[in-house]
Amino acid sequence: MTLSEFYSSLGESLDAVLERLRMESRVAKYLGLFLNDPSFSELKTAFANNDAKMAFRAAHTLKGVAANLGLNKLSASSSELTEDLRPEAFTANSQALFEKVEADYTAAVEGIKQLD
Amino acid sequence: MDDKRPLILVVDDVAMNRALLSDVLSDKYNIIEAENGNEALLLLRERTSEISLVLLDMVMPERDGMEVLTIMNKNGWINEIPVIMISGETAHALIEGAYMLGVTDFIGRPFDEMVLKNRVNNTIRLYKKQKSLSDLVLNQIYEKTRNNSMMVTMLSHIVEFRNGESGMHVLHINTITEMLLRELTHRTKKYQINRNNIGIICTASSMHDIGKITIPDKILNKPGKLTPEEFEIMKNHTVNCAQMLDAVPVGKDEPLMKYAYEICRWHHERWDGKGYPDGLKGDEIPIAAQVVSIADVYDALTSERCYKPPFTHEKALEMIHNNECGVFNPILMECLDAIADKLVMALQTFDWSKQADKDFFYIADAMMNDQRHPIYNQAFRQFIDERKKCHFFESTLNGILFEYTYTPSVMKLSSKASQKLGLPKTIIFEENKTNGVDNLQDKTSNENLEKIQKILRRHTALKDKPFLVKQTFNIDGKSTPCNVKVLQIWTHPQNENPVLTSAYGYIDTLQ
Repeated sequence: MTLSEFYSSLGESLDAVLERLRMESRVAKYLGLFLNDPSFSELKTAFANNDAKMAFRAAHTLKGVAANLGLNKLSASSSELTEDLRPEAFTANSQALFEKVEADYTAAVEGIKQLD
Repeated sequence: MDDKRPLILVVDDVAMNRALLSDVLSDKYNIIEAENGNEALLLLRERTSEISLVLLDMVMPERDGMEVLTIMNKNGWINEIPVIMISGETAHALIEGAYMLGVTDFIGRPFDEMVLKNRVNNTIRLYKKQKSLSDLVLNQIYEKTRNNSMMVTMLSHIVEFRNGESGMHVLHINTITEMLLRELTHRTKKYQINRNNIGIICTASSMHDIGKITIPDKILNKPGKLTPEEFEIMKNHTVNCAQMLDAVPVGKDEPLMKYAYEICRWHHERWDGKGYPDGLKGDEIPIAAQVVSIADVYDALTSERCYKPPFTHEKALEMIHNNECGVFNPILMECLDAIADKLVMALQTFDWSKQADKDFFYIADAMMNDQRHPIYNQAFRQFIDERKKCHFFESTLNGILFEYTYTPSVMKLSSKASQKLGLPKTIIFEENKTNGVDNLQDKTSNENLEKIQKILRRHTALKDKPFLVKQTFNIDGKSTPCNVKVLQIWTHPQNENPVLTSAYGYIDTLQ
């Protein structure tokens, strides 16, 4: 899969990312690094440990990292979760919002793994 | 690494974010990274004057971006180091909070590489300009202070020259006045003297006798006792000077003018009201004049004059206490007693080339603490702090400190070192002389000097590690075994052999 195909498959646009980050090689490099970024696993752990403060921070980080890479769906769902967790306490919505993040994250990661 | 490139501190807890920023910026800048607020603060403390810009994330563990900003405000770093906050944060109140804490700019995520680069460039350029302006101001003030104090010194020397005196008198009075005033401020707040006006009073003290240019030569330089008529004329140097200063068309409201007037007119008044020209009594006499008066008398007594040999320090103090040379404010007598021991040392080791620097530090220190127009210069502030730190550590050490520069060949000793080894505080070695300095009082101090020179001629391997030598020195007249620790500093000019620039030494007596 090419970079362009990858972004299309997620309903995103490579061109928009390139406008900000300039180089395809740079985009590819950071997508690669994204696989090792611990934010999502931290978020998962935080939910498992009922740690709302850590969950907030992890969601916030994920939102920023995803936005930089043009993974807008993931960024948007993370953003919703971030706002939900801002008071540093879980709400009735938290679990559902997390599941949305997880779905977007999984889709992105699966796609990245298939890049040429 | 090229040192000319500005240094940017990137603070973000996410490795990927740091990597991306440094990726985008590293072609023009040197980058250091911190992964949380505490690390960032440590780096800021260590490298305050090197860091040109901070790129700061907002949400982080171990102190977040807002806490870092708060501390940067507290330490004044925010005035000198611009901060651009980069965050995915969209909450309006938080972004506003960041601006309130002094961030120059806020860049949201996702950021555009081109916009980021331009904002970084512009911010660094702007601050550089501000910094060079503040450096320029400081330099000009330094030059101005140096010139001012040189002018004042020249003026007063002209008067003394006519008087057949050495010119050391004004410099001594300057030193004594400063020490007395400092002591006085420790004892009472009554006279409303602060660090600023100590400097000004000292400068004004140099002018205490300029009225003497109005006194005819044959009276001024008469070797014998003056007749009562002649003495009346002599006494006029006080009012004459006051008149001269009154006629100066500018500076009426300047503190320097006010102090100079007080000192010139009233430095011959007496606490009991029996002085001249106005017979002022007690604290009717302005404090500046009182202090200079006692300084003048002390230095006159301990110096040689055409009509008398110098008295010893002890004899001079005794005469002052017995009111043989005037009557002084009791609190100033206390001050004189308190500084008596330090005074002898200070006058012997007086280094007048440092005088202007001292005035400059007074002014610079005051300017940096001015509430309305503070000058931000972190490097200078650090330098002042280091200076104070050195003085403090030096004062607590039992051993002897010396420093040496190779070109020109100059050795400097701490006051204590100079006293214990019987050597001057500053020694300049001339190339064609084998033993460095003449006129050393005795053989033992000469031996001490030769021993230090021998140690300085050693060349170590090029390591920034001190070496240790055992050597005996003559200290307080006794041959004393010592450990000498020396650190040599090398520079490495490009493509050339390393050069030995300076050495720092510590002599520890083994007793």
